[in-house]
Amino acid sequence: MKKLSDLRFIIGIFFSLSGLVLLLTYFIATESNHPKMNLYSGGAMFLFGLVMLLLFYKGDAENA
Amino acid sequence: MHLAFPDYLIIGLYFAVVLSVGFMIKFKIKTTNDFLMSSRSVPLWITSLAFISANLGAQEVIGMAASGAKYGIMTSHFYWLGAIPAMVFLGIFMMPFYYGSRARSVPEYLALRFDDKTRGLNAIAFAFMTIFSSGISLYALALLLKVILGWSFEFSIFMAAGIVLAYTFLGGLTSAVYNEVLQFFLIVLGIAPVVFIGLYEAGGWEGVSKHLPQAMVHTWKYMGSADDNPMGVNMWSMAMGLGFVMSFGYWCTDFLVVQRAMIARSMSAARRTPIIASFPKMMMPFIVIFPGLIALALTNAHSDFSLPLKADGRTDFDMALPSLIAHYYPSGLLGVGVTALLASFMSGMAGNVTAFNTVFTFDIYQAYIKKDGTDEHYLRVGKMATVFGIVASIGTAYITAGFNNLNDFLQLVFSFVNAPLFATFLLGMFWKRTTGHGAFWGLLLGTVLAAIFHGVTVAEGKGGWLGLNIHEFRSGMGQAFGVATVAWVGCFIITIMVSLFTKPKEEKELVGLVYSLTPKLEDAKSPVLIAIVMIILGIILNLIFF
Repeated sequence: MKKLSDLRFIIGIFFSLSGLVLLLTYFIATESNHPKMNLYSGGAMFLFGLVMLLLFYKGDAENA
Repeated sequence: MHLAFPDYLIIGLYFAVVLSVGFMIKFKIKTTNDFLMSSRSVPLWITSLAFISANLGAQEVIGMAASGAKYGIMTSHFYWLGAIPAMVFLGIFMMPFYYGSRARSVPEYLALRFDDKTRGLNAIAFAFMTIFSSGISLYALALLLKVILGWSFEFSIFMAAGIVLAYTFLGGLTSAVYNEVLQFFLIVLGIAPVVFIGLYEAGGWEGVSKHLPQAMVHTWKYMGSADDNPMGVNMWSMAMGLGFVMSFGYWCTDFLVVQRAMIARSMSAARRTPIIASFPKMMMPFIVIFPGLIALALTNAHSDFSLPLKADGRTDFDMALPSLIAHYYPSGLLGVGVTALLASFMSGMAGNVTAFNTVFTFDIYQAYIKKDGTDEHYLRVGKMATVFGIVASIGTAYITAGFNNLNDFLQLVFSFVNAPLFATFLLGMFWKRTTGHGAFWGLLLGTVLAAIFHGVTVAEGKGGWLGLNIHEFRSGMGQAFGVATVAWVGCFIITIMVSLFTKPKEEKELVGLVYSLTPKLEDAKSPVLIAIVMIILGIILNLIFF
């Protein structure tokens, strides 16, 4: 529970999943308003989420 | 605005995460200190982002975009002239007293430095203001969701209040602070795309400038006279009213934001919190003000976007940001944009409620009702205060909905109360002769003077309620700056005069509370260098948009 309540983990999970939703929407949706915005924003959010998760695991390994 | 499945998925994911945070933090809450003070154990990067995020409520996100569309880039004075120097001042000069005195709240510092009546005056005023601010935020959220999504007023209020109650009740201040940081990133990443696409559509900053009056794309150039700029404020009024009195009054004395620095792990981290926070803060105009400028430029350029109108035909500036999001965001990103707006309201509400429960528990209940309770007892009181704060916010939201002008009236009263505060703190921290009687009467009469000044001046048809008009301001903002300046000067002079005729505290009682009687800090990680860098960056931004 202590690890799960690390804020880097929480932010990482939220933005990776949100980014994935946007990327999937871009690839699945047929017609949309400015569809590439989902691609760029989803990609950026997914990457940001991964960086936060990486920081979490790095910090966790250092503390172990 | 029509939401599709991916949008609801993002909104649902956000709600699930914020509730999970409360649930996970719950297991760490054992004492009152854990619940209301986060045991002073929060890392620096979190306190810094929470420091600005607690202020990143609806008024900031929706209101600053509206001001950007109404007044232009001059709105950035709230950041580059006001917030940045004030945050640096707080970190360098004031935080050593807040943190070093071990006070648990700003009113408790007033009790240590002055006396209980000054603490009581500040605590009660602050408790009322936080509840009303939280209620107004809730009302504004429900109104916005009704307009853009067609959600019912009741559903929006109880949904938002219920979620904020759940995570603040379960995880206390730590939960609120964690969610504020998550909300910060969400607001930035959720709104930034609208700035990029808006600038792209408008032809970059040059395109925006071309379609706006020149006075709207310069921060200082048209401030020589109040007649030359849309804000209706001159340089002196801006520098004194906003840059000094209002900004320093808010950023240096409002417990809502100061609390985020007070829960840092060490004095060094507490001092660096507002200074490090000043960097993202100075970037915020690009996220919250630019959308307003872009919306107006696109409207003037006769593009396929235009700002919506109110029922009476006037431009609805408050809808600048929501209408841009509705216009440009595809399904999926639209969910992120709506969630960012929801997050801004909930962040503001949670910030107010967690500041309220601390001040109520320590500065009202423990100070005046039950002084010798056990820690378990105060923990229960803190949790009950959280529930009461949310219920009272819902009540305020309904009252606000029933009275058209209540919101304006309350904002006005807040400005009367807030304006003189910084004079009290400045004198209290830097002049050892200041007495409790001086502080109390200075605060009280400074507030009364602010109200009287508003009653004898007029702006945009408002004010002048005393039936005497000694001056007419070009804008409500100019009047607000004038009111703040009068309140500050009044409080400053009255506090000095009363102090000179009353007995000060013994010097030994003031060690750690007053600058001249406190040993200089030996801080290996002195924040002075970072502070200088931030001030220089602030100056550069002012020059770029001069």
